Amino acid sequence: MLSPYLLLLLVPSPPLAAFLMLGLDPFFLRRRAVQVLALLGGVAPFFVMLPLAAVCFGGECHGVVPVFTLAFGQSEVALALLLDPMSTLVGLTVAAVGAMVITYAIDYMSDAGVADLRRFFALMNLFLAAMLTMVLAGDTITFFFGWELMGLCSFFLIAYNTGLPQAVAAGRKAFIITRFADAFLLAGLLLLFLEANSVRLDVLIPAGATMTEDRHLVIALLLLAGALGKSAQVPFHTWLPSAMAGPTPVSALLHSATMVAAGAFMLARFSPIVMSEPLVQAIAAAFGVGTAAFGALSAIFQTDVKRLLAYSSISQIGFMVLAVGLGAPEVAIGHFVVHAMFKSLLFLAAGDITHGSDLGTSMKAMRGAARRRPVAYVAYVAGAASLAGVPFITAGWWSKEAVLSAAWNTGPFGIAIWALAFLTAICTAVYAFRPVLEALLPEPEHRSRAPHGHPLALNLHHRARIGSGFITVPLVVLATGSMLGGVMVAPIISFLGAEVPHAPHLPALLAAMAPFAGLIGAAALTFVPSLAAAVEGAHDMRRPTRLDHKFQIWVIEPYIRLIRWLSRDRRPRDADLDFERQVRLIRWLSRGARMDGVYQALVVRPFVNLVRWLSGHRGGGVDPVGSAPVALALRLTQAVVGPLAHDRFDRFWMRSANRLVRIWVMARAIQTGRSRDYALGLALGTAALLVIAWGTTWN
Amino acid sequence: MGYDMELTALILLPFFGGIAALFAGRFGRDAERWVSIAALALALVILILAFLTPGDGRWIAFERFDWAPSLGMQVILAMDGLSGALLVVSLALGIVSVIVSWKITEHSGLLNAALLWTVAASNGVFLSFDLLVFAFFWELMLVPAFLLISVWGHGDREAAALKFLVFNAVAGLGLLAAVFYLGASGEVVTFDAFEVAERDIPHGVQVLLLLGFAAAFLVKLPVPPLHAWLPDAHTQAPTAGSILLAGLLLKTGAYGLFRFPPMLFPEGFATLAPWGMVLGAFGSIYGALLACGQTDAKRLVAYTSVAHMSIVLMGICGGVYFSLMGAGVEMVAHAFSASALFLLIGALYDRTGTRDLRELGGLQQSAPRFAAAFAVFFSAALAMPGTANFLGEALVITGMFQVNWIFASITLISLVVSVVYATRLFKRVVFGKARRSGVVEDLTAREMGPIVLLAIATLLFGMLPQLLMGALEGAVTAALAPVAGP
Repeated sequence: MLSPYLLLLLVPSPPLAAFLMLGLDPFFLRRRAVQVLALLGGVAPFFVMLPLAAVCFGGECHGVVPVFTLAFGQSEVALALLLDPMSTLVGLTVAAVGAMVITYAIDYMSDAGVADLRRFFALMNLFLAAMLTMVLAGDTITFFFGWELMGLCSFFLIAYNTGLPQAVAAGRKAFIITRFADAFLLAGLLLLFLEANSVRLDVLIPAGATMTEDRHLVIALLLLAGALGKSAQVPFHTWLPSAMAGPTPVSALLHSATMVAAGAFMLARFSPIVMSEPLVQAIAAAFGVGTAAFGALSAIFQTDVKRLLAYSSISQIGFMVLAVGLGAPEVAIGHFVVHAMFKSLLFLAAGDITHGSDLGTSMKAMRGAARRRPVAYVAYVAGAASLAGVPFITAGWWSKEAVLSAAWNTGPFGIAIWALAFLTAICTAVYAFRPVLEALLPEPEHRSRAPHGHPLALNLHHRARIGSGFITVPLVVLATGSMLGGVMVAPIISFLGAEVPHAPHLPALLAAMAPFAGLIGAAALTFVPSLAAAVEGAHDMRRPTRLDHKFQIWVIEPYIRLIRWLSRDRRPRDADLDFERQVRLIRWLSRGARMDGVYQALVVRPFVNLVRWLSGHRGGGVDPVGSAPVALALRLTQAVVGPLAHDRFDRFWMRSANRLVRIWVMARAIQTGRSRDYALGLALGTAALLVIAWGTTWN
Repeated sequence: MGYDMELTALILLPFFGGIAALFAGRFGRDAERWVSIAALALALVILILAFLTPGDGRWIAFERFDWAPSLGMQVILAMDGLSGALLVVSLALGIVSVIVSWKITEHSGLLNAALLWTVAASNGVFLSFDLLVFAFFWELMLVPAFLLISVWGHGDREAAALKFLVFNAVAGLGLLAAVFYLGASGEVVTFDAFEVAERDIPHGVQVLLLLGFAAAFLVKLPVPPLHAWLPDAHTQAPTAGSILLAGLLLKTGAYGLFRFPPMLFPEGFATLAPWGMVLGAFGSIYGALLACGQTDAKRLVAYTSVAHMSIVLMGICGGVYFSLMGAGVEMVAHAFSASALFLLIGALYDRTGTRDLRELGGLQQSAPRFAAAFAVFFSAALAMPGTANFLGEALVITGMFQVNWIFASITLISLVVSVVYATRLFKRVVFGKARRSGVVEDLTAREMGPIVLLAIATLLFGMLPQLLMGALEGAVTAALAPVAGP
């Protein structure tokens, strides 16, 4: 009988087939056909995953399907797909989110030309196939194949608007930074292979746990570095906010369930190896919680909804990395599932609200959402509540509470981490609710002043209708998941074979208060003019018109005093300087701690200078190393041939010739032309001959 | 081992095909091209038949007969998986190069003859095990390649052709001198590589002789600092010439290095191999960095060849199973991917008259098939898993981890830099708006043929590694532990 696990092969196949058909395009497909193919490819994996999940939840959850086996040398490389609780859960999540996003994109991208549409959906399908392949991989080679293919697709997808230089630059940035991290992962995986002499995860992970000490540490660190890069954790985070230059469905797919979350999944997958090293575990926890806090703080000060959500992804994946670092990869997977739902929901809802707005995706474009796009707005509120972790009624609370409890239960060190994570949770609620509240403000004036007959106005009119089913269905499904998914968190964790961590009542109660504290903060940032102006002013450097008195006293004043105290500043107060300081902090945060600038100075600029110098743009010669032997050869030739150039033989012959000439000149003197000279010569010659004749007859 | 002539035919068919092509033009339009394709296709069929007949394990086919016995010259032709794979590459790229130069009418008989002779001579290199005959073919290769660059090239073609000739001819002298010494130093004069391999050559002499061999191989490879001829030759050569240079001539250098040093001078090779790895490591970064700085698309690809062939050198000098296997795979993979990139850039040049990255752009909008083809070989250039290039580089890195992790790390860095130049090429050519180049006509059916062929080869060997790795197994094991011939 055929094993049901053979279905695994079918999971990534539909999107791959859709990619091939759209990419090779043998039939010159029309718009409708493109959309149908894309939809089939995008939705089918979910329905293939369902029976597999049924088998898995039924208890028979350890299936390996060999793809093919490669024997070379003394090694045997067996490629396989693997069905276990982790791959089932994550695969199901990815398939579901992928299906929703592609469904949504059918309507969202309907303005694009056929050629662009085909390229877009081909790449989206390939991306989905790559992620599913990676999730279901049963060996490191298939795993890395999916991992890298995602990176490649992300380059093409982020740079989808090929005419926009910043989109292309963002694509390159994402690809180069993740590829840099991938080099670590590749090194780690190859070392694992050499160590265990197998690429199969089911062989390798137990073998990896029994390696020699230093090898083990190196491999664990390499894997961690790979995960941090892919997951846009500090200090690799800079590519993710830039990547928002891609279309919204791309952001929704790449930055919720796939791509960035892949790093967290990888850590969970290899957790037996990574987590048997206490040092690596501590590093992972530190990077995780640090990134979570940093991402949340930065998100608060964004003025663009998509960038806000980008920093939110950075922060939320920080929670997952933290959970792995705390030795609870099951909790990380739980948060992975929930985060995938609410983050894709937020992207999709925000995309729907701001679609076609002349304000782009800036926060102001959210205004009036409740009236224009009620479904999307409600969906956004649901997603934001889940992100903020409103207790009990949202899924986000359950998964985040599990992470917090895992931290609390890890001892005194864990309580410090819990405290930081708790503050992060408050910040999370602040930025989660900011767009929600912003949407309640009146729409900016010039929006309604767009003249009729203007293409933009037409577009707005077109978009103002209630969204089609392609948009509504994903929003409703994902919103339901984000709210009610909480009931799944505990079963997921126990299904993966771990206890659900429970914290004592006090920290749990405190954590439950965090969203409300955040809501107050968000309200302050939105409705208090001085603070709203400070956030806004950080971006366009305009002085606010009026500083609100109370917040000047209670929030800004203490901060200024703190700064003055820290910097030992005893000069008299200066209003401009104070404002400058306030703005500087916000700008520093809103630009991701300016890591871009740091990279620019430390990596990009030196690299470019080196390349320019090597290619002869900076005074140096072109290709100095290559031209060195040529120059050397020429110099040598000159040194050897130079002396020979005055050829000694030649000189001998020439000198001889000169001598001959001289003899000839002398001989010419005899030729006087006078007969008496010749007669004298004759006489002398005859006399000489006579003398010789006489001499010969001497005897 | 019968007295078959199939290997001889693999050399002579392209050679006489070339002579026929020289005169075929009189008998009909494009007759010289069809004659060339027929000769190469026939050779390919013979090659495939040779693959299908069972060999003796180590060799798929083996031929030996006297040529000039008084000089100790024999013709010893032997084909194992490595030679076989490279012969497939050579014949396939020969056909591709004939197809891409279809539109060139200037001296087209001589052009096709030059293409076929290049193929014939490199086939001779890949098959010969008599060192003198090997050296003969080695030098012979230069002549048609010189013609290709100097007659049909672009820009400053005479200077580029001369540079190519001088570099390679001078370096070839080292090989020739070492071969003469080897032939004359035994009791009987013989150039039979299998017999020479049996000899006990003192260590110091081995090192000296190996330096002579290596001079020729490293210049042909080429590895910095001996690469200066390559960017000029690649840039000024016609598209077909670039394809054969990147796909064949560079591989002869790698092949020679793979085959002879471990076989003839095992101890000397062990002494010099670390230096080879240092050169290779340096070259893999240096070539990649220079590729980032080029403005001429062809020069960019030329420098990526330097980087990739340096990785091959590192793999060969690594001397462990994985690195040797990786070097072999990378040789074949690079032959396909680099030629395809040259083909695409050549097609672009035919349309726009420029290869300047600052003037190109917008292919995505105007020529989607062109863009897709670029995307495939762009992925190959940056070693995306699933392409044969990744297989080769990953194997080399694995081997390097066994030898020395520093070299492995350097190879990984060059992989990262490869993303920088590849995305730069892609950004400038495919993305953005058409600058001076204007709207570009999409690839025609005749151009798509070779492209599809090369894409299939790249992906097939990447997805089903067993095809290539199984073929290379024998040669790799032989390079690990030198064994005598039959």
